[in-house]
Amino acid sequence: MNAYYETRAGHRGGPSGAVTSEWLAQAEAALVNPPSSLPRSSPSNGSPLFSVIEEFNLWRSKPELAEAVAAIKALTAVIQRSEATTMMGLEKELHNASEALKAWDETSISLSAGCDLFMRYVTRTSALEYEDIRAGKARLIERGERFGEISLKARKTIAMLGQEFVRDGSTILTHGFSRVVLSILKLAAANKKHFSVICTEGRPDSTGVEMAKEMVAIGVPVTLIIDSAVAYTMQSVDMLLMGADGVVESGGIINMIGTYQAAMVARSMNKPVYVAAESYKFARMYPLDQKDMSPSPRHVDFHVSLPAPVQVECSARDYTPPQFLTLLFTDLGVLTPSAVSDELIQLYV
Amino acid sequence: MAPAVPELQVAINDFVLQLQRRQVEGSLDSAKLTVLLLRQVVSQHRASHSGQASALIEAVKNVGVRLIAASPIELAIGNIVRRVLHIIREEEVSVTNSTEAEVGAGFESDDNDNNDNDNDSPPGLSAALLAAANRSALRGPSLYNLLESGSMPSAAVVPLSSGGDSEDRSRSCEKNSKGWKLKHAVIEGINELLEDINNNHAQIAEQALEHIHQDEVILTLGHSRTLLQFLCEAKKKRSFQVFIAEGAPRYQGHTLAKELADLNLQTTLITDSAVFAMISRVDMVIIGAHAVMANGGVIAPTGLHMVALAARRHAVPFVVLAGMYKLCPLYPHNPYVLVNEMKSPSQILEFEDMSEYVEAALGGPAMHATNPTFDYIPPELVSLFITDMGGHNPSYIYRLVAEYYSPEDYSLE
Repeated sequence: MNAYYETRAGHRGGPSGAVTSEWLAQAEAALVNPPSSLPRSSPSNGSPLFSVIEEFNLWRSKPELAEAVAAIKALTAVIQRSEATTMMGLEKELHNASEALKAWDETSISLSAGCDLFMRYVTRTSALEYEDIRAGKARLIERGERFGEISLKARKTIAMLGQEFVRDGSTILTHGFSRVVLSILKLAAANKKHFSVICTEGRPDSTGVEMAKEMVAIGVPVTLIIDSAVAYTMQSVDMLLMGADGVVESGGIINMIGTYQAAMVARSMNKPVYVAAESYKFARMYPLDQKDMSPSPRHVDFHVSLPAPVQVECSARDYTPPQFLTLLFTDLGVLTPSAVSDELIQLYV
Repeated sequence: MAPAVPELQVAINDFVLQLQRRQVEGSLDSAKLTVLLLRQVVSQHRASHSGQASALIEAVKNVGVRLIAASPIELAIGNIVRRVLHIIREEEVSVTNSTEAEVGAGFESDDNDNNDNDNDSPPGLSAALLAAANRSALRGPSLYNLLESGSMPSAAVVPLSSGGDSEDRSRSCEKNSKGWKLKHAVIEGINELLEDINNNHAQIAEQALEHIHQDEVILTLGHSRTLLQFLCEAKKKRSFQVFIAEGAPRYQGHTLAKELADLNLQTTLITDSAVFAMISRVDMVIIGAHAVMANGGVIAPTGLHMVALAARRHAVPFVVLAGMYKLCPLYPHNPYVLVNEMKSPSQILEFEDMSEYVEAALGGPAMHATNPTFDYIPPELVSLFITDMGGHNPSYIYRLVAEYYSPEDYSLE
């Protein structure tokens, strides 16, 4: 099991699950304390590469803090510690740090998307003629530290936009566990909408079971199905609502394995497929097929002893092409899949 | 709400009543009348103290909400209200920027006096930067300014309010001229909008020759003024044939058929149920829309979804003509139910013939007659939109929405 999924599973294992007031409080506390004031097991020993990963892990260990946010916090810490005297020097240092972060876990899309987003911002800001490097640095640090707030606000915005699509009397199919999807459903339930949810089991780490528990907690009728029952239940479903690990340039998404087939079944029965994702998950990738991504294997337990020649397919995620998606709910508004590439082009070209 | 002049109030009430009684119908008429009314609202608006733009926005919004409630099916009304609000917001930014530039020299000293007002604008920020921030705030959120958006509200508000404060104190006469300038600019913007609406048929028709070729067979359903002018324009250079489905139960196709026959166009009238039989001979389906939603879905007269499906079955291009004022920034959350209007069943059946069955409906189970006005056509079935701004793919519509509307106006509540 790679580090990325290990920590994700760890987060979910907690008793409280997704967006809780506790987590909000933690995120807000994280905003108040600048990273420099945090205890660090080994203070920078002259090697910036070493410390940035450590910094990242420190932030990531905060439950429910999104991966991209942790990456940006870690990069902010690099700026804070940097002794560069020119903007170019600072940029170079940051570039090395972000490359090190990305290399540390190549499978995480939101990590690299977060790094790219921040680097892009740094490059643009330095172009804004700050005469004084200290002023430039202060601004970058301020932005980085506010990113936690931005990401929180993003989730709220998405919940507001997404809940409009939840209609009274509708049945929603979800696949796996997503904090954004949960926040949409929570808000819809709080707005007194009557709907029911069907959760897939989400083998092998049973993320759907977590989702089902959350639904019980907010008083929404919920049905748990095995992953292979998606087509069977689709007839009674009004919409498919899923989160995403990453949104790629084509407007397609990369998400937990099984997303592709769920979207395919929904599309073939003319049910809308909605994806909820924060815009910092938009990644500069253009996978052409399933094998076009770096593999992210994880352990799959079949509960029987298998003879050695049997190979086990253990990919943790798949790519869903844009033609299977109806709309994306993001903090930039409700977008069609083709709008994603537009946003990315605006940022990077 | 701003103190409204009685005359204006009467005009608003009249228009609301007309809408409620469905005396004003159709997207073009309701759009035009809304523009005229809102121009009146803006020109008679009196509030020359500091937050003029916000008072103006508030006044327009108040009227807008009433008009929309009076006839929710006329989405064009809401579109026009949002367009006017967008004009006000845009002009506010440009007027503020130009005033800042004019008083640039004096502004410096004022700024020092009011340092406490400039709560958190960083020292490195120049006026040009703030202006850029304003503009991007208007443009709405994007990945490009995601990191800036944390401080966007304060950055957008600070220059306006501090500018207003200082000017209130020192030069109230200039303040007035700024307010006048804003109002003037907004009214000019509204006039331009009105002109765009008046010209949209001609602008769409201009593109006809690019789309209609010699000896082609065009199919349409019902009646549309935009389409009539489009075909007229094409007729000048090309000879082609038109199939018209009559569009039961309103039979507006009959009207179009007569108008086209008057132009000496080869016209064939067919029943709605014959569409599938004829579609294999058709080169292109062209229709006029009632409204275009933000996802590229179309609200159009009943029967057109069926035509769209028939066209898709035979891979015939399905082209939708729509002026920009029909572009609605909302998503159809539940299009099959929400965006529709039930007309009187008398169009479907004569009361004399069926009265005994209909009367029985009061007592128990009997015949019902429903007469919905509109179909929702999902964006996948549309090949091309032709607007007064050119031809667009359905997936590009969201971009046009971002260009013509401010995101804060999507919901007017």
